[in-house]
Amino acid sequence: MAESKTTDPAATEAGEEKDWTATKAFFDSLKTNQPRPPKPQYAVTIAVSSRSLFNMVAEGKIYKEDGVEKYVAYQQEHDNEPLMPGVAFPLVEALMNVNAGLRRLYPDSDELFDIVLMTNNHAQVGVRLINSINHYDLTIERFCMTGGESPIGYLKAYMTNLYLSKDGEQVIEAIEEGIAAATTFASGDVENQLSDTQLKVAFDGDAVLFSESAIIVKQHSLDTFFEHETEFENKPRAQGPVKCFLEALGMLQRKFYAKNERMTCPIRTYLVTSRSAASSGVRVLKTLRSWGLEIDEALFLAGAPKGPLLQKIQPHIFFDDQMFHIEGAKELGTIAAHVPYGIGQKYHKGIFTEQPAKDTT
Amino acid sequence: MDSMVRNPDVKQRDAAQAVVVAVSSDAIFTPEVEQVHGATEPLRKGDAFSFMKAIQVVNERLLTLNSDETLLFDVILLSNDSEEKHSRIIASAKHYGLDIGRFCFCNKEDSIESLQSNNVKLFLSTDTNDVCKALQKGVPAALLYHQTDPHHQTEDQLKVVFSGDVIGSSEEMLHGLREQGFTETQLQGFKTAKGSVKEFAILMGEMRRRFGLEGSPLCTGLMTAWSSRDVCASALKTLRGWGLLVDEAFCLAGAPRSPILNLVRPHIICLDGLYHMEGFTAMS
Repeated sequence: MAESKTTDPAATEAGEEKDWTATKAFFDSLKTNQPRPPKPQYAVTIAVSSRSLFNMVAEGKIYKEDGVEKYVAYQQEHDNEPLMPGVAFPLVEALMNVNAGLRRLYPDSDELFDIVLMTNNHAQVGVRLINSINHYDLTIERFCMTGGESPIGYLKAYMTNLYLSKDGEQVIEAIEEGIAAATTFASGDVENQLSDTQLKVAFDGDAVLFSESAIIVKQHSLDTFFEHETEFENKPRAQGPVKCFLEALGMLQRKFYAKNERMTCPIRTYLVTSRSAASSGVRVLKTLRSWGLEIDEALFLAGAPKGPLLQKIQPHIFFDDQMFHIEGAKELGTIAAHVPYGIGQKYHKGIFTEQPAKDTT
Repeated sequence: MDSMVRNPDVKQRDAAQAVVVAVSSDAIFTPEVEQVHGATEPLRKGDAFSFMKAIQVVNERLLTLNSDETLLFDVILLSNDSEEKHSRIIASAKHYGLDIGRFCFCNKEDSIESLQSNNVKLFLSTDTNDVCKALQKGVPAALLYHQTDPHHQTEDQLKVVFSGDVIGSSEEMLHGLREQGFTETQLQGFKTAKGSVKEFAILMGEMRRRFGLEGSPLCTGLMTAWSSRDVCASALKTLRGWGLLVDEAFCLAGAPRSPILNLVRPHIICLDGLYHMEGFTAMS
């Protein structure tokens, strides 16, 4: 994954093996049952920003109104006050639950979720962040606090498979670097009751899992789109930015199936698309199959709003490329993340805009 | 015995108040493969070059804030080279306009003694063995990070990273490591290194405080390579207790460190005695 940029790869590898040996030794020597973090090259690494993991709205206000020095000082003064959970918090807990299952079935495997805190916050704010992580007993052993610099470069270095942040611009940067990423939005006042035994992830199809067809709908007409779909029925769709994450979920699901735990598998995936099964169903399902992906439920809404259906599913996260659907999901209590990819993002309620969507709270 | 030569082109610092840093000449100027007798052209820039330029920026900014500032970097170039090379080293330093206060010429065996007798707050080398040896003798030392692409290393800001695995580990944790195969010598080495690091960290903390959070010519960081987040948090608090509020923090917990260090781009890494873990070959 990440390339090692030294002139002596053998020495680097030897050095890295020593680091790994030291890590194992360290965690083995701990009196607590704290599990050792997985080897990054085998893990499914989810990087979360501090503002998506924790609710830092009040602190954000201080930053905006009083500047960075006052903000950092405030955080230091409140070091020992745990922050309230943020929008990605339930997802992180669900990921931890899946890990518990995987560790039980495969005690020596590094194919686990690895949650990394990736923030451009100052390291002194970090003390409060770590204290908060401790308070909720979250399994987050790796972090990167860049003290103001963009954390995007580090995503590759930490071998990130999915990046979640409230900052739309950083999410776009990540996607441009080839890393699956989405902008998280708070679910508003109404909150769904989420399962604590099963991780549920819902995906929109276009510009999230698939890519080029969305462009055709927006720039031409629906008729052209239908023609295109029929003509290319047997040709797999091009990959969207979050497709790799679905792939990683499928890989972990199969580990449960291999141990006869299909019925109680703690991961469930959903495709929630505006398309109609009649016009697109075949191509969508064939594409998924050709990619070796299984999706547990494929729901074709034929234009009906996604909100009510998502409210029933209650996913820990729902990925969509259109703010219209993100807002619809939010209104009915679903945690939604915007994937700013392709032409869909440039339109909002039919009007062409260029600003990246952002949760400014 | 060493011979100490003052650099007439550089204003001498108050060595008692300054942060005296000794840098190996092989780090500042690339050692020549072939010794050409009577050569006079300036020596080629070495790995420590961008570090030298960066501390110059820090010193200039400190003096801008306070023209009577005494907490400045004071560099001694430490050379084990033959006598015929001495004048060439001095001339090269002048050629590049390097802020080197004194040149110390001595034998390799006498190096440690020279460092000890000159109130050196930090000895810098690109050689991990030299750094570890110095640390073991109680001389504070740090590694000049070998940046494979020198153009990527900034000369506008000095970046100092502290290794936190030992600083942040409690006595109990270090004791636990004994059962994992670490030798007594290694564990003693950690204790000594921790003491040396403390002094330098206090100085860096003081210097860092002269500047605001943003736009500082000095950037400090903490990195833990193999221990848990709690150790990293503990290291953060320990450094804070010593007066150093680091800007950046990285907890790797076993993740490969080269890709990350290549992005952090530190000039120097203050080791805790475990960087290359020579003793680990016995375990793995």
